[in-house]
Formats: sequence, C-alpha cells, structure tokens
Amino acid sequence: MFENIALAAPELFTLNTMLLMVVGTVAGLLAGAIPGFTIAMAVVLVLPFTFSMSPVQGLATMIAVYVGGLSGGLMSGILTGIPGTPSSVATTFDGYPLARSGKAGLALGIGVWSSFFGGVIAAVILMLVAPQLARIGLEFQPVDYFSLVIFALTVTASLSGDQMVKGLMSGLLGLLVATVGSDVVFGQPRFNFGVDVAEQGFAFLPVLVGIFAFGRLLGDVKTKEKAHQPLGGEAQVVHIDYLQAAREVLRRWGNVLRSAGIGVFVGILPAAGSTISNILAYDQAKKTSKEHEQFGKGAIDGIIAPETANNATAGGALIVMMALGLPGDIMTAIMLGALLVHDVIPSPSFISDEPKIAYSIFLAFFVANFMMLGLQSFTLRGFVLITKVKLYMLTGVILFYTALGMFALNNVFWDMWTLFIFGVVGFFMRALGFPIVPLVLGVVLGRIAEARLSQVYARSDDIAVFLSRPWSLFFLLLACFSLVFPTYQKQRGKAAWTRYYPTALLIVMAYPVFLMPGSVRPVVAVLMVLAGLVMAGYQFKRGSVPQQSK
Amino acid sequence: MTVNRDFFVAVFFFVLSAVMFVASYWLPEPMFGQLPSWTWPRVILVPLGFLSLILVMQSQRGGQERVELSELGRWFKENVNPFICFGLFFGFLYLMPVLGMLLGGLIYVFLTLSVLGGWKPRQLVLHAGISVFFVFGMWAVFSLALGVVLPEGTILRVY
Repeated sequence: MFENIALAAPELFTLNTMLLMVVGTVAGLLAGAIPGFTIAMAVVLVLPFTFSMSPVQGLATMIAVYVGGLSGGLMSGILTGIPGTPSSVATTFDGYPLARSGKAGLALGIGVWSSFFGGVIAAVILMLVAPQLARIGLEFQPVDYFSLVIFALTVTASLSGDQMVKGLMSGLLGLLVATVGSDVVFGQPRFNFGVDVAEQGFAFLPVLVGIFAFGRLLGDVKTKEKAHQPLGGEAQVVHIDYLQAAREVLRRWGNVLRSAGIGVFVGILPAAGSTISNILAYDQAKKTSKEHEQFGKGAIDGIIAPETANNATAGGALIVMMALGLPGDIMTAIMLGALLVHDVIPSPSFISDEPKIAYSIFLAFFVANFMMLGLQSFTLRGFVLITKVKLYMLTGVILFYTALGMFALNNVFWDMWTLFIFGVVGFFMRALGFPIVPLVLGVVLGRIAEARLSQVYARSDDIAVFLSRPWSLFFLLLACFSLVFPTYQKQRGKAAWTRYYPTALLIVMAYPVFLMPGSVRPVVAVLMVLAGLVMAGYQFKRGSVPQQSK
Repeated sequence: MTVNRDFFVAVFFFVLSAVMFVASYWLPEPMFGQLPSWTWPRVILVPLGFLSLILVMQSQRGGQERVELSELGRWFKENVNPFICFGLFFGFLYLMPVLGMLLGGLIYVFLTLSVLGGWKPRQLVLHAGISVFFVFGMWAVFSLALGVVLPEGTILRVY
C-alpha cells in the first residue's frame, strides 16, 4: 500500500492540482450550502472543466467538490434551519436550536470538525478496505457481475418504500434507455426507428444531468413566487469557534466512531447514500445518549452524528466504485462517468492495474477533508452573499451551462438533445411520483449488465449457471430478500412472519457462503446458520403472538 | 374502473413495453452464435409489462381520485414556468445551427430569465447584464481556454 501511496503522491501534490482542489472544495462548500442545489448538481457542473485535465487532476477536483458539498450543507442547516442538502437534514434538528441559543459559532465548529473526522475515518477505511474488496471482486465472473447489477437495482427500488412497483419500473425504464442506439456485442443498430442520429444512443452523462439537474431545477421555479425566492434564508456571518468545538467533539469520540461506521456501511449499500445515513446516525446517537432529552433542543451529539455520518458515506460509496467498478449512487455514477471520460475503466483490477490513479483518489479524498476544514470560515462569507441571489437567476444560467457542458463532453450536438429529452422525462417522472435514482442507475448499469450477460451467453447457454455459482446465487437471494424488505418494514411488529425475516435471511444466505472456496467462508456460513437458529429459538420462545398486538 | 393518474401511467408503460417488444422482432440476426441483440431488451420488457399490469391493479385499489379534465388543466397551469422553459430550450437547440452557441445562448438565457423573473425595464437591464456576463464568460472559458470548438452558427460563421 505504501509504495502505491508514494507512487500517487507526486502526481497529486502538485501546485496545480492543489489549487484546483481548493477551488473545488470552495465550490462544493458553496453548492452544498445552497438549499435546493444538490451536491450531484455541483459535481456535474464541474465535470466539463475536468475534460481537459489529467485523470488525477480531474478526479481530485471532483472529489474536492464532493467532500466540500457534503460539509457545506451544515452552514445553511445550522444558520437558517434550512438544510443545504438532504444529507444535512438531521443536522438542523439540533444545529439550528444551538445556533439560536447564541452559540452559532460553536454549532458550526462542531459540524465542521465532525465532518472532518467522518471524512478522515472514511478515507482510512477506504484505503484499507477497497483493495481487499477488489481482491474478492477478482473472484467474480460475468455471471456474478450480472447478478450483482440485478441486486443493486432491486435494492434501489426497494428503498423507494411504498413506491416499490414504480421504483422497479423506473429501474427497468433506465435499463431500456440504455438499449437504445446499438447493441453492446456487435454495435448493430437497435431501437433507433430510422433516426440515424439516434444510432449513437444516449450517452449516460447527458441522460443523468437531464434527469437529475434539468428536471429538478425547473421543478424549483414552478411558480413566480418560488422563482423569486432568494437562495437561502437570513444567514449572517459568525465566527466559528474551532477550539471549543474540537474539544467537544473529541470528548464524544464514541459517537464519532459509531456515526462514521454507520456512514461507511450505508455508503457501501447500493443507492443508500448520505440522505439516509445522517438520519440513521442521528437516531442511533439519540438512542444511546445519556442526554437524549436534550435532542432537538441543541444537543451536541445531535450535530456530531449526522455530520460525521454524511461525510463518511462518501468513503463507503467510493469503496464499492473503486473495488467493483459499480456505482452505488448518483455521485459515484458521475465519478464513474468521469473515469470513463479519461479512458479509465473501473473494475476489480482497477486498483492493481492503475495504482497511481486509484491511490490518488484515496489521497485526494483524504486531503479534501483537510481543505474543507480550513476553507469553511472563508466560504461562510461567500455563502451569506450568495443567499441573496434569486433562484430563477441561477436556474437560467445553469440551464445554459449544462447544455454547453454536455456538448463539450464529446463535441456531439445530439448530447444536448439527449439532455433536453431526459430533462422532460425527469420532470414528468417526478411529477408522476416515480423515484429518480433507480432510473439513473438503470441507465448507468444497463450496458454493463448486457455486456456481462453476453459474456455469460458466450461461455454457456445453461441458465442454471446463475444458481450454481455461489456469488451469483448470493446476490440473487439478496435481491429476493430486498424485494420483500419494504413489506417487512411496513408489517414489522404487526405480522408474525416479520419476526422470522432476519432469521430466514441469515440461514438462506448461509448456503451460497458455504459453497464459496476457502476455509473461512464455510465457517462463517455455519456461524450464520447457528445465529439464525438462536434468533429463531428466541422468537419462538417469545410466543406466536406479535409483540405490538399483545 | 377508476381512471386516475397511475392508471394512465400504467397504460402508457404497458403500451411502451408492447411497442418495444414488437420492435425487437425487427432487430437483425445475430452473428457467430452470440447473444442476439433482442435478448436483453426482451428480458427488460417482459417484467416491465408485468409491473405495468400490477400498477393498473394498484391504481384500482388505492385511494387515488379520478382524474378530471379541469384538474389536468390546473396542473398545467401550475407548471407553466417549466413548460415555457422547456419550450425555450427546444428553440435554443433547434436554432443552434443558425444562431450558434454564443448568440443562441445570449438570447436563450435572457428570455429564460425574463420569463421567470419579469419584464420590467429594470429587470430587463439586469437580465441582459447577467446574460452577457455569464454566457460570454462561459463561452470564452470553453472555446478560448479549454479549446472546445463550440457551434458558431451560420450568422457568426467566419469562413
């Protein structure tokens, strides 16, 4: 590992790259602070500028924006009570009350330090875990990959909760969109309906920007009143109390470690990003805190937990992208796009084949957290100025800029039409209550899935291979459980079967783990079965009457 | 039968799956015994059609209200800004070969800002200023600094 770090460091630590990262961090902090302006949008807007940079410079800049964006949300959340991004929703629960009680500087300081520690812990985990996970990824054959993609899509859809049918349809529509243009194996025209230009298919970045940024921006200026709203609330410049805040955060190191763990774990799960992790970490902090009655009134633990978790989530998401080459959320999908633009194809062999780029990404993630820490005070002044700009002004300019940026991607005029078409699609999908994330992941994963399926087909025409390969079976079984998960969540405590869901999950998943090579995994499988049996026995002992109906 | 929003959506998706499924029969024959180009689309379309039917059933069970024509009109009225913006963007792209990125961009941003922000003289001056600053600025960054050959349009074509 250390020789790879030594290889990457000279590439990353150049004056140009550091300056670009500083600019990226400031841009991310500002973008994250503006309510309604997502981090993904900020990274998308920076992407066209990275085309002319080296892969290391481009990716380092984007990571700086990503890290900055995750931390920027706390500024508006704490000062105005309006979360800058969904990933800082829980920060407002205690950050805003603490700021209103006259301790805005302390609240901001706690948020900044928590984000920093969350990011740094995640960076260390990323550096240690990603290469190991990539080694496991090398065991994957095309059939396993295909099943992994199916699992990623079902999990994404299942996170849509009550809208699971729409989530699945959204994911399938995304896969269908990816089939338009030409087929993956021979490049023969497909579904172009006689339109020559459509043979190019839909490049996924314009699709992604159209659905995500274009549709969303227009949704924000629906009415004249909304269009004329300023970007933020009544924010004022305050002095960030770094020293006192650092003491408070370090005194609560248990919460920091737990929240960072939650953040990384949630980041690893497909589609479960920082929007979920910050609330989960807040909930856990509240449950375990000795001062839980203070939560909602300005509890320090209530700021530490969400801010640590949301920055740590980025590390988790990068682990999967770097190790397996699969994006788990919108952000890593954009990162994947950026890597492809620079002719870098992420896969399990990516870290070993391209150690310079891979370890530059690890280091950039680490360094960006330090930059965020140093630049927060400076950016706060910029944020206060920006809050006075009206929403429609930003919308008009960004719509033009996205068109320009998407054209610059490949110098292809069709990409701007793609942006427009999917802007309309995204707008209507939102209006009709369809979740957007499965659609985007479907578009990104569609061609990967088809390529893997064609490799499976070339090797064997026996469909049983999906069930006979342990990893493939593992992912398919997980996909089945994830489909039942929303019903389980809804019925938990009401229906008797829900008490046996975790037990069934453990015992069923033990089977493919048992079939895996080596001596450790069969032992793990046996332990899983034993744990499942113990849980089943415990539930059986508690009686057949559901707990809440007693 | 309740004709509500989800019912329409489900029917749309069902028809889409059916049309695409039929279109998959027009795809060329595979070569060298590899995966036919229709296989993957059909793997997608069959569950999509099936889920559309489930959505039809759900739409009949759920508590969604019947869609009235007046409701639809109100929805369009509420979303008039996005529709105008889409229209302007369409015009921007359609006229790009003539106006190019610079002229087209200036007109597009100015019109979008004015549609969303208002047409009072002071606002128009502000919108014109924003358009010139940002469009020209970004055009300069991309074409002069990053070396991207942006569409120049027939009006500004110099050769």
